[in-house]
Parts: sequence; C-alpha cells; structure tokens
Amino acid sequence: MQPVRHGKLAGLGLLALVALATGFVLAGQLRAQLLTPSNQLARYQALVRSVQDLEATNAEDRRQIAALRTQIAALEANAAARSAETQALQGQVADLRAHAGLVAMHGPGVEVQLRNGVAGPNAASATSYLVNFQDVQDLVNFLFGNGAEAIAVSGRRITPLSSFSGSAGQVVIDQGPPLSSPVTVDAIGDRNRMSDALADPFALPDLREREVQFQLQVTFRGVPDTAVPAYDSSLQIPHVQPA
Amino acid sequence: MSSRRRARATGISVWIIALLVALVATIQIRSEVEVTRALVGVDPTSLAFLIDDLHRANDSLDAEKTDLNQRRAGLQSGETTTIDQVLTDESNRMRAIEGQVPVQGPGVVMVIDATGLTALDLQDALNNMTAGGAEAIDVNNRRVVTGVPVAQTGGGVTVDGVIVTPPWTISAIGDANRLAEVADLMTHQLRADRRVRQVSYRVDANIVIRSVVSAKPFVYAIAS
Repeated sequence: MQPVRHGKLAGLGLLALVALATGFVLAGQLRAQLLTPSNQLARYQALVRSVQDLEATNAEDRRQIAALRTQIAALEANAAARSAETQALQGQVADLRAHAGLVAMHGPGVEVQLRNGVAGPNAASATSYLVNFQDVQDLVNFLFGNGAEAIAVSGRRITPLSSFSGSAGQVVIDQGPPLSSPVTVDAIGDRNRMSDALADPFALPDLREREVQFQLQVTFRGVPDTAVPAYDSSLQIPHVQPA
Repeated sequence: MSSRRRARATGISVWIIALLVALVATIQIRSEVEVTRALVGVDPTSLAFLIDDLHRANDSLDAEKTDLNQRRAGLQSGETTTIDQVLTDESNRMRAIEGQVPVQGPGVVMVIDATGLTALDLQDALNNMTAGGAEAIDVNNRRVVTGVPVAQTGGGVTVDGVIVTPPWTISAIGDANRLAEVADLMTHQLRADRRVRQVSYRVDANIVIRSVVSAKPFVYAIAS
C-alpha cells in the first residue's frame, strides 16, 4: 500500500505544480492583455504591413528613377556627339544637375555620426536622448555654412529642395523612408574648415547639451576622399514658372 | 475503478494540463515577440503619420517617373530639335530648382515681426515651408534653397552672408493649399512665442520672386 500512496501524493503534487504554473501564465496573460485583444495586435500588424509595403514600393520607385536618369544621361551624351549646340546644352545641364545633387560626387570632406544616447529619468525629456530630424537639419545647415559642397545623410543626397521631418527618433528626408540612429552625414568640401567648425565647443549647442545630458554621441573625422550618391527621388516643381 | 486505471487517468490529466500550459506559454511568447517586432519604438499614431507621408512620397515618385519617361521618349526620338528642346527645358528647370532664375507661382507670404529670433528659428521656418511643398522661397528679397547658409552673427541673422532684419517676409511658391496649412500651423505656434510681436500670412495666386542665388563652382567635389 505504501508505494501506491506515495505515487498518489507525487501525482497530486505534480498536478498542483502544473495548476500553479498555469495560474501564473494565465495571470501574466491577462495582465499583458496579449491574447484577448487580438484585434489590437491585428491592427498594429496591418499598420506595420502597410508601412512595409509602402517602403518596398518607395525603394522600387527610387531604383527605377535612378535607372531612368542613367538612361537619360546616356541618351543625352549620345546626342551631344552629333551637334555642337547639343553638346553645349548637355554640358550646361550636366553641371546644373551636379549642383542639384543628381550626380554622384566624391572628394575630401568629413564624416559625422550621430547616435542615440541614454534615456533620462525625467519623463519631460522622454525623447531627448534620440537623434531627431532637427539635429540632422542643424548639422546639414552647419556643414553647408562651413564649406560643404555636397552632403548625403545615411546615403540620402541633399538637394536644393531637401527638407527634414519625422517624429522622435525618426528622420525623414524628402521622399525617402525614415532613418534612425546611427545617422551618418558625409560632406564633401573644405575638410579643415568643416573639422575646425565641428570641433568648436560652442557649435551646435543643442547637440552638445544633449551629449552631456543624455550621452547622445556626435563623432566626426576628416576623410581624404568620401563619396556621396546621386539623389534618387523626385525634384518636381509643378507650381513654379519663370518670372 | 482499479488503482492502475486511476493512475492512468491522473497521468492523462497531467498531460492535458501540461499541454494546455505549453500552448498558453507558446502563444504568450509568440504574441510578445510579434508585438515587439512590430512596434519597436513606434506607436500607432506615428505609424499612421508615416503611412500618410509614404503615400505622399510615393505619389511624388510616380510623378517623377512619368516626367522622366517623357523626357527619355523625347531623347529617343533622335530629332536634334526635340533633343535640344528637352535639354533647354531641363536646364531651365534645374536653374529654377537651384534658385538661379526669377520665378513666379501660387503660394503664401508670411510676415514675422519679432525680436530675438535666431538663425535656428529661421531655419526651422524655412524647413517647415520646404517640407510643406515649397518649390521656391525668398526671405526679405534673399533667395533661399537648402544649402544657402542661414547663420547667426553678432549683427543678427544672415542669409548667404547678408543680414535679414525683422520683420521677416517669407514668400513661398508651391501648392497654395498645403502651404496655407503649414503657414497656419506656424502662425499659431509663433503667436505663443513671447519674442514674436506680430505674425500673419496671406495666400497669393501669383507670387513673384526676383531674388536669385549665384552659382558657385565646385572646388573640392568631383563627379564620380
């Protein structure tokens, strides 16, 4: 009889343990609200899927635009070989396109990197540790003001019509998908002037302050030869007419 | 019921409960993973804004593709006059984009009268306009495109090295409806700023911007 009673007790103990574990899991489940609000999850997933689909379309469109621009440049070069007037026009257009950011460039410059810092305890500064679009905007303006001739932000070329937007931690430039930390800014131009300006402790005060407060990282180095890609998005000006 | 049957029934019960526990645990873990993967750092409102931005961006990219296809077709025609026209149009368009020629079109004119506004304030205002679809901008008769330095000096805010004294009159050509929305939002924000004495804007069917940016040759950058 003794072994049977022991077995029964062990079985009951095991059952109790399993029931306890089930209870914990169920309690955790209810608290986390992850099983019951499946609609909420589905909605989130639908939103995320929409973003992913739109980003895929965006990337494909930009790839097609880059390819079309390459084909057009080749056709123009071909036509230029046939007439002096066309050649002069093609030269003008090529130069203007280079200044508009439609041509890949290289040369000496600086590479600046912005990285998220560490969240502070204060809720009021909940997103101050994140790299935001204004940081990138300030940095790009600063570099242009200190001798940059061509700039790309994480591979997105800046044009005369470029704008910066986004929410906390996300940087949207023109029609590109959102960028997030680390953000790399490559600038071609007067390397010494840009390096000296970036080394100035009074430059970019907001970034410097957050470097101290939230360990946001701003690093830079001068490079003898850096490259920026051609702009691969829209440069439409449908509302502008010559005056 | 024999003790062997009872033991068997207990065993089955334990297995069923264990199975349920495993099931719940699996669903729990998978749900958490999915949620983490889907929503890392992005709330649904931000996602909705992102979707809106991406829709607009993709529409712009579509328009650009159509335009490029037309230009390619013109060049493929092989006729010198057509090719020269395509190149002339492109040259004019590029000059307008780079701010090298006077332009006109619909848009908004915003006037900000304030003391103590800095270069960063002006940069933010200009960026808001560009993000709102401005295709050409002028501040106090100084043409501004991205890349034209807007800086803070002891004498005040400069645009391309020239001081722009308040009040700032910002003229922006583009989609007037979109620009009006941006100007409206900016007006509300600026009115809450103590440094701002007065701010107003008007929508104009035809704004003429005569200021231009001088072309600067590359010194360091070389085409790849």
